[in-house]
Amino acid sequence: MTPAARRPVLPLMGKALLDTWRSTLVWALVLVSVLALYLPLYPSMAGPEMEKLLASLPEELIRALNYDQIATGAGYAQATFFGLLGFMLSSVVAIGTGAAAIGEDEDAGLLELTLAHGVTRTQVVLERSLALLLRMAFLMVVIYAGVLALNGPSELGLDAGMLFQAVAQFLLLVLLGGTAALLGGAVGGHRTHGTAAGALVAVGGYMLNALGNQGTDLEWMHAFSPYHWALGGQPVANGIDWSAFWGLAGLNIVFVALAVVALRHRDIGGA
Amino acid sequence: MKRGGAPRLALRKGNGMENVIEVQGMAKRFAHREALRGIDFEIPRGSVFGVIGPNGAGKTTAMRCLLDIIRPTAGQVRVLGTDPRRAGPEIRRRIGYLPGELALERRITGRRMMAHFAAISGPVASGRIEELAARLGLDLDRQSRKLSKGNKQKLGLVQAFMHDPELLILDEPTSGLDPLMQREFLGMVEDARGRGQTLFLSSHMIGEIEQAADRVAILRDGLIVRTATVEELRAGARRRLRVLAATEPETLAAALEPLPGLQLLDTERLGERLGALEARFSGEVGALLHALAGVEVLDLVLEEPDLEEAVLELYGSLPGNGRHRAGEPRP
Repeated sequence: MTPAARRPVLPLMGKALLDTWRSTLVWALVLVSVLALYLPLYPSMAGPEMEKLLASLPEELIRALNYDQIATGAGYAQATFFGLLGFMLSSVVAIGTGAAAIGEDEDAGLLELTLAHGVTRTQVVLERSLALLLRMAFLMVVIYAGVLALNGPSELGLDAGMLFQAVAQFLLLVLLGGTAALLGGAVGGHRTHGTAAGALVAVGGYMLNALGNQGTDLEWMHAFSPYHWALGGQPVANGIDWSAFWGLAGLNIVFVALAVVALRHRDIGGA
Repeated sequence: MKRGGAPRLALRKGNGMENVIEVQGMAKRFAHREALRGIDFEIPRGSVFGVIGPNGAGKTTAMRCLLDIIRPTAGQVRVLGTDPRRAGPEIRRRIGYLPGELALERRITGRRMMAHFAAISGPVASGRIEELAARLGLDLDRQSRKLSKGNKQKLGLVQAFMHDPELLILDEPTSGLDPLMQREFLGMVEDARGRGQTLFLSSHMIGEIEQAADRVAILRDGLIVRTATVEELRAGARRRLRVLAATEPETLAAALEPLPGLQLLDTERLGERLGALEARFSGEVGALLHALAGVEVLDLVLEEPDLEEAVLELYGSLPGNGRHRAGEPRP
C-alpha cells in the first residue's frame, strides 16, 4: 500500500470531532438532564394546575414564552424544552463550535500552520462545518431518544414520527447559530466575531419571535425570525414545515458558502 | 493587481540551476504599515538561503507570502514553479514550514499532533517522526502544554522536516533552542542539503545561520539591503587588529595609517622603542603584512571578523535597495 493510499478521508473533520467528543458527551448529559427535569412535570401541571398558572401570568409573557399551547403534551414539550432551554443550550454548543472552527483557531495562531499543509481553505471550512453538523446531529439524536423515552412516563402522548420531524427542523435552527458563528470567524478572524454573529442570529431570532407574538401590528417580525420559521408552526405536534425546513437549510448553506468565500479572499493571522 | 496578465517567470534551467523560489518586486502593505517594499531574490534548488534582519524587517511577512498565508500586494512569486496563490495542496505537501510565532495545540501529545500533521501533509516515512524526535531529544508522549519553549520548537521542527519536503521554509528555526540543539539543527540542515532539499531560513542573528547558509539576504525595513555569501560578508567585515612592535608607536602608526580599510583606535608607548597599536581593519591581509614588513613585529593579533557587527552596520547605515539581483555585486 502506498502512503498516499493511507491518507485518511476528511482528516480535519475527524480531528475536530475527536477533539470535542468529551465535551459533546457532557452536553448530551446536560440536555438529557434538562429533559428529565422538565418533561415528567407535565402530568402534574396539565389540567387545573396549568389553567391556574396560565391565568396568573400576564398575557404578554405567555405569548413571549410561547406558552399558549402549553396545555397539550406537544405544546408543553415545545414550550419548555425546544422553545426555551433546549434552544438556549443547543445554541450555546453550536455557536461555540462554529466560533471555534475558524475564528478561535486563527486567534490561537493554529490556522496558519494548518493552512501551510496540504489542505485548502475551502476544505478547512467545509470539513469543520461538517463536524459542526455531525456534532449537533448527535446531540439531536440524544434529544430525540430522551424525549421518546420520557414520552410514556410523562404522559405527553407525542407521535414519534412528528417528533422526529420536529427535531430535524430544530437541528437546522440551532445549526444556523453555529454556521453564523463560523461565518463571523471566517470574515473577522477572531472568536469574538464568531460568537457575536452566532448570538445575533440566535438571540435576534428569539427576540423577533417574542415581539412578533405580541400583536398583529408586530407580526411582520416573524418573517425575519429563523426561530419562528422553525417553531412557529408547532412542529412537535404538526411535524415538518417544508418551507421552513428548506429555508433554514438554504440559509445554513449560504452561511457556509459565504465563509468559504471570505476565508479564501483574505490574509490569515491579522497584522 | 497584476495577477494573470503579468508575464510568467520561467524557471531557469540553464547550467543545471533550477530556482525553487523566485521573487520579483514582492511588496506587502498592511493597513497601517508597509511590511515589504519590493524585494527580489532567487533560491536555487539544493541550496540554503538565509534571510537576516531585525524584528519587524519583513522576514515573517515574506515567508507567509510564499505559503499563501497572506497575499502580497505587488510583485511576482513562484514557489516550486507555481504562484502560491494558485497552488493547490499538492504544492504545500512538498513544503515544510515552521512559523515564526509557533502556536501549537495544548491538550494533545506530540505523537498525536504529528500524526495529524502527517495526515494533512506529504507522506511521512514510517519511523521518521521518532527518528527526528530522538535526534532532538524530544519526548513525543508528553502533552504539548507541558513542554518548554525549546521543546515546543522541536515539535515545530519535526513537523516541518518529517515528510522530507523538497523545500523547507523555517522562520527563526533556532529560537528557543539551547546551543547543543542549535548544533543538532545545523546537522539536520546539512543532512537535508545532502538529500538535495532546499532551505530558506530566517534569523535576527547571523551567528545562528552563518554555518548553514550558502547565501544570505539582509533585510531592513522591508527592503533587501544586501545579498551575499557568508564569505563575502566576512571578507567585508571589520576585524580588530593589535600590533606590538619594537618601535616607537608613532612609527608604527605612520606605517599602517595609509592602509585602506584601517581605522586607528589607539597607540601606546610601552617602553623604550616599544609601541602598541590598536585599530579596526577591513582591508586585505596581504597589504597589512606588506605595510608591516619594515617593522620588527613582536606580536600581532588579527581577530576573526565580527559578522554580527557587520550585519548590524548594514541594518543601520546603508540605504535600502531591494532592486538588485541576488548574487550580483551592488552598484
